[in-house]
Amino acid sequence: MNKWYPLLFGAASLTAGCAENNTADVETQQERDWEEIVEEAAGKEVGIYMWGGDEGINAYMDEVVAPALEEQYDISFQRYPMDTPEFLSRLMTEKEAGQQDGAADILWINGENFRNAKENELLYGSFASILPNMEEAVNTEAPYIEYDMGIEVDEMEVPWGNVQYAFQFRDEENPPETLEELFYWAEENPGEFTYPNVSNDTGNGFIRHIIHHVAEDPEEVTEFNEAWIEENGDEVWEILRSLQPSLWRNGETYPETLSQQDQLFANGEVSATLGFNEYRAESLIEQGTFPEDTQTVGLSSGSISSTHYLSMAFNTQEPEAALVAINYMLSPEAQIAKLDPSMWGEGHILDLNKLTEEEVEEIESLVGEEVVPQEEALPELDARYISWIQENWEQEVVQQR
Amino acid sequence: MRKKWTKILLSSLLFFLFIFPVLFLFFKSITFGWNWPDILPHTLNLRAWTVIFNDPLIYRSLFTTVFIGVVVVILNYLIALPAAYALSHGNPRGKTLIETILLLPILVPVLAIAMGLHLVMIRLGIADNTAGVILIHLLPTLPYAVRVLKAGFDRISPDWVKQSRTIGTSQAAAFFIVLLPMMLPSIRSAGILVFVISLSQYVLTAIIGGGQVTTLPLLYYPFFNSANEAVVAGFSVLFAALPILFLILMESSIYLYKQWLHRL
Repeated sequence: MNKWYPLLFGAASLTAGCAENNTADVETQQERDWEEIVEEAAGKEVGIYMWGGDEGINAYMDEVVAPALEEQYDISFQRYPMDTPEFLSRLMTEKEAGQQDGAADILWINGENFRNAKENELLYGSFASILPNMEEAVNTEAPYIEYDMGIEVDEMEVPWGNVQYAFQFRDEENPPETLEELFYWAEENPGEFTYPNVSNDTGNGFIRHIIHHVAEDPEEVTEFNEAWIEENGDEVWEILRSLQPSLWRNGETYPETLSQQDQLFANGEVSATLGFNEYRAESLIEQGTFPEDTQTVGLSSGSISSTHYLSMAFNTQEPEAALVAINYMLSPEAQIAKLDPSMWGEGHILDLNKLTEEEVEEIESLVGEEVVPQEEALPELDARYISWIQENWEQEVVQQR
Repeated sequence: MRKKWTKILLSSLLFFLFIFPVLFLFFKSITFGWNWPDILPHTLNLRAWTVIFNDPLIYRSLFTTVFIGVVVVILNYLIALPAAYALSHGNPRGKTLIETILLLPILVPVLAIAMGLHLVMIRLGIADNTAGVILIHLLPTLPYAVRVLKAGFDRISPDWVKQSRTIGTSQAAAFFIVLLPMMLPSIRSAGILVFVISLSQYVLTAIIGGGQVTTLPLLYYPFFNSANEAVVAGFSVLFAALPILFLILMESSIYLYKQWLHRL
């Protein structure tokens, strides 16, 4: 019996060791010099939780970000493919269990998920000001720095990419450029247009454009405005109801997901698709999924711009390496590579005034003309509009046919 | 003559039901823009396969998937064979109760259990690693394995074992020489069933494995959210190939076992 005691004791001290957390917290990091953090980060391994269903995004992470971090900072970068709700529920359980040794350090997040994570204290803290590139490269004047869909960011996440809502048409000489023209186009071409179910963010985004369309002034709806909804909600639904008969399959059914609609578009069943990221069609054309004559149009009446962010988990084991990795992903080098349609191809969050001339030229050569001029971008609506649309669309539109 | 025709008819039916869909998926994975009403695709290319095999995680994930699957099958045999034998040939008290308890994991939503078990596994220190994932895969597989094997034992009369014991064989020999050969059909079906269930776990692996244990579904399922049908089709073919690999593994071990039996 006695010979088991050392073993038991060893196990006990092991568990005790686990409970003790020797990673530095965000306050300590804020007091340190950036050089010190970079030094500390060398030789460490850092992981990111991110959705892994796009070959372009995966290729960007594996072929651009990971090698660069290895080369420049001696950090080995791991990508853990996992959907946002899953990693959030994992973090929630880990929080409950007091697990300080998290599996991943960086999170790819925005909107409602960010609100959840912030409210449940699943995030590392206010780290944005620690990163030199926030000061040196990122456009800090943009509204999305302070608010993420109406949720205060509090420096707990930093913008990674900014995309605009745009429409894709195939083989169309004069694609519609405003919502009114789009409605007219849909009537003229019955069965050629549709939008995904509103439980999907893309379908929901289409309705949010109609809210903007009904509202005279974006100011009226930037914050959740219940009185406005009382008054104008029905006008929004009325537009959708009158659009319904000219949709794909007479609006009897809607694509469940954006990927379904994209497949319909790729197969030629519908002539239009839509979605966030004005450059998303480029890589799909290059892959051969979308036809060559696909044309992307942003609404000159205004397109909603949406931002996605990087944040850190509360139980990161390598906060220094995570900070360095995030800082790299905000750098002009990484952001410009992200614009390349042969990989990811999506909008940057840089401030052109802070960049060198060569960098600006490089951006222009990659992106060409802006699909949606910045000044025509509409602010993303408060997250509560999303739930309002989700709660009422089925009853107000689908069941009214 | 008639027998021959039925045979042809039957095999073509089987072909259309089981082989054709996989072949179709394979063709889908090497074509782009193969749309209705084209009967044959315009162009063939292997781009989807380059995407799949360029993923730095793919080789390790294939190995992890098969490794976890095989270990889960072996553990299932170790646990379910005695359990099924006892339930079938023994007459334990509260037999129905035990059977119900053994079946419970597939009646209760797995996700709810997984969240709770994740907490326990963190405390035990087996979350985020292969051991934890193997353990959690027992949850949706064991109930089926016990059922299938019990049905197998039910068909075998206890007298066979008794008879061999009267001529002086040991308990172990009676099991390996008398019982096991008669159980082979059930063992085969339990094995492949368990392997396929383990292969298709996504949520359990994601929650317990924390993305650190990357099995094929973890790489494959997110692609359903993309417009690229070719890559999804390619992954599906790969996915369908794994049970075949397992079948070959299992059949060769059964073959070796039979060889050993003959030499006795």
